[in-house]
Amino acid sequence: MITPAEIEKLATLARIKITEEDKVSLVKEFDSILGYIDQLKKVEVSTDTEGRVGAVKNIMRPDEARQISKEDREGLLSEAPDREGDFIAVKKIL
Amino acid sequence: MAIDLHKLTIQKAHEALKKGEYTSVQLTQAYLEQIKGKNPEINAYLEVFADALEQAKQADVKIADSRNKNQDFGLLVGIPCGIKDNILIQGHVASAASKILEKYHATYDATVIEKLKKEGVVFLGRLNMDEFAMGGSTENSAFGVTKNPYDTSRVAGGSSGGSAATVAMDGAVFTLGTDTGGSIRQPASFCGVVGLKPTYGAVSRYGAIAMGSSLDQIGPISQTVTDSEIIFNAIKGKDIHDGTTIDTKTYTPKNVSSKTKPVIGVPRHFLKEGIDPAVMDAFNASLESFKQKGYEIIDIQLPNISYSLLVYYIIMPAEVSSNMARFDGVKYGLHKDGETGIQDYFETRRAGLGREVIRRILLGTYVLSSGYYDAYYNRANAVRTMITTDFLKAFASVDFIATPTAPSPAFKIGEKNNDPISMYLEDIFTVTANITGMPALSIPCGMTKKDGKDLPIGLQLTARHGDEAGLFTIGKDFLGE
Repeated sequence: MITPAEIEKLATLARIKITEEDKVSLVKEFDSILGYIDQLKKVEVSTDTEGRVGAVKNIMRPDEARQISKEDREGLLSEAPDREGDFIAVKKIL
Repeated sequence: MAIDLHKLTIQKAHEALKKGEYTSVQLTQAYLEQIKGKNPEINAYLEVFADALEQAKQADVKIADSRNKNQDFGLLVGIPCGIKDNILIQGHVASAASKILEKYHATYDATVIEKLKKEGVVFLGRLNMDEFAMGGSTENSAFGVTKNPYDTSRVAGGSSGGSAATVAMDGAVFTLGTDTGGSIRQPASFCGVVGLKPTYGAVSRYGAIAMGSSLDQIGPISQTVTDSEIIFNAIKGKDIHDGTTIDTKTYTPKNVSSKTKPVIGVPRHFLKEGIDPAVMDAFNASLESFKQKGYEIIDIQLPNISYSLLVYYIIMPAEVSSNMARFDGVKYGLHKDGETGIQDYFETRRAGLGREVIRRILLGTYVLSSGYYDAYYNRANAVRTMITTDFLKAFASVDFIATPTAPSPAFKIGEKNNDPISMYLEDIFTVTANITGMPALSIPCGMTKKDGKDLPIGLQLTARHGDEAGLFTIGKDFLGE
């Protein structure tokens, strides 16, 4: 059983505002879903898991700054909800 | 002349364009008319692009050019298509059917779009889906449900419901969808069309809005298997922008049978309950038809297959919760002001994300949180490997594995709204291909009557990693293409 306080904690971790009403319905839904996926605990698992999917392994590239065109930069910046010149504007942090 | 759009295929349209029976502009115009007539009821398109005719004009220039030089032109030149709303087309809105991206314009082309542009297709518009591809009915779209063209009181399936309904209502020659747990194949099954989930890594995911990154694949939805083959060959391939893409040498599929016809395995032990009798009848009739064509049908065991859905509903939300963290109202998309910078996130995500998305983010946060990580996420990954091993073992003695695509035909709108588990069970046969990374094809295999309406039923064929070619061959053989 999950508690409303636990739901609240998850929502805080996930940065989503939820209401008291949400908590009530989410507790119910979580119980149903967790009751279902908890069946996994009964499966006997062998310990060797590949820990990756597909046939290819990680591909590394140098950690370098790349130049993009003025148009691309403008395109990206114009999608920002708030900007000042060539910067994305956010609320004061400190 | 009036162009007959009904079940129009790429090849037929290509021939007509070649012979000059009509131009791409006329064909595009015909589809725009069809969409205007059908879409208000079906709601498959979220937006029809204003520049569709302009794209068709350019295709006609290409066609005229080839004709003047006495050359052939590519099969996809001037072919109108629709794109699921989670695949980026530069300059166009890509909302993933979410309020949080309602006004977001893609700043680059997805690799599949870049490839299709080179092929010369015409993009008619963007197609409805469950928000961020989370759902099996398109009821989770922030912009209204997509209705099934066969019975408008029923769902088109999901999450690529708009993509499947578009093909079924003759609203485009073909469409692209994405498939994380069945999101191409289940709606294809519900709408009586063909849908392919390629091998993981066969098609670049660059520019597809991510849901479950170890599960997602882009794939075609079309009238025929031949069309899906043409589209798959156009969009596949290694991509520098997606490190998980594979090339043709990654896997070397080989038929097990020495005979001319391949062997089909059926996991009968997994088909005992929860399946609509009409679906089971159509499935058995399909196997009978394969037998008559000379295929060998054998019973196979997949000992851990019944855990597939459990594994999926742990790994998928875990990946969802990570992928969805980027939607913070800072860089792009919706922004809602809170009292402080951090409160902005809470307000933005609350205002922009729908119920199912929030539910999955929280579930993912739960299974990944300390104390639960081993019991859920690590365990699920171990069982995922066990399931994949089962399939690989089975493929030592069979070439294809057959199951129904979905346990039932299209269900009523609202029928499963209040019961997440019953909605999740829709994916029972499809999730395995995402868990194992194997390719799977859904093809229409029969009809059933419910409430006086004919509803399509789909057959799913799964193949070895990298054996899309095998799926196309058997699919065409089954449908008589």
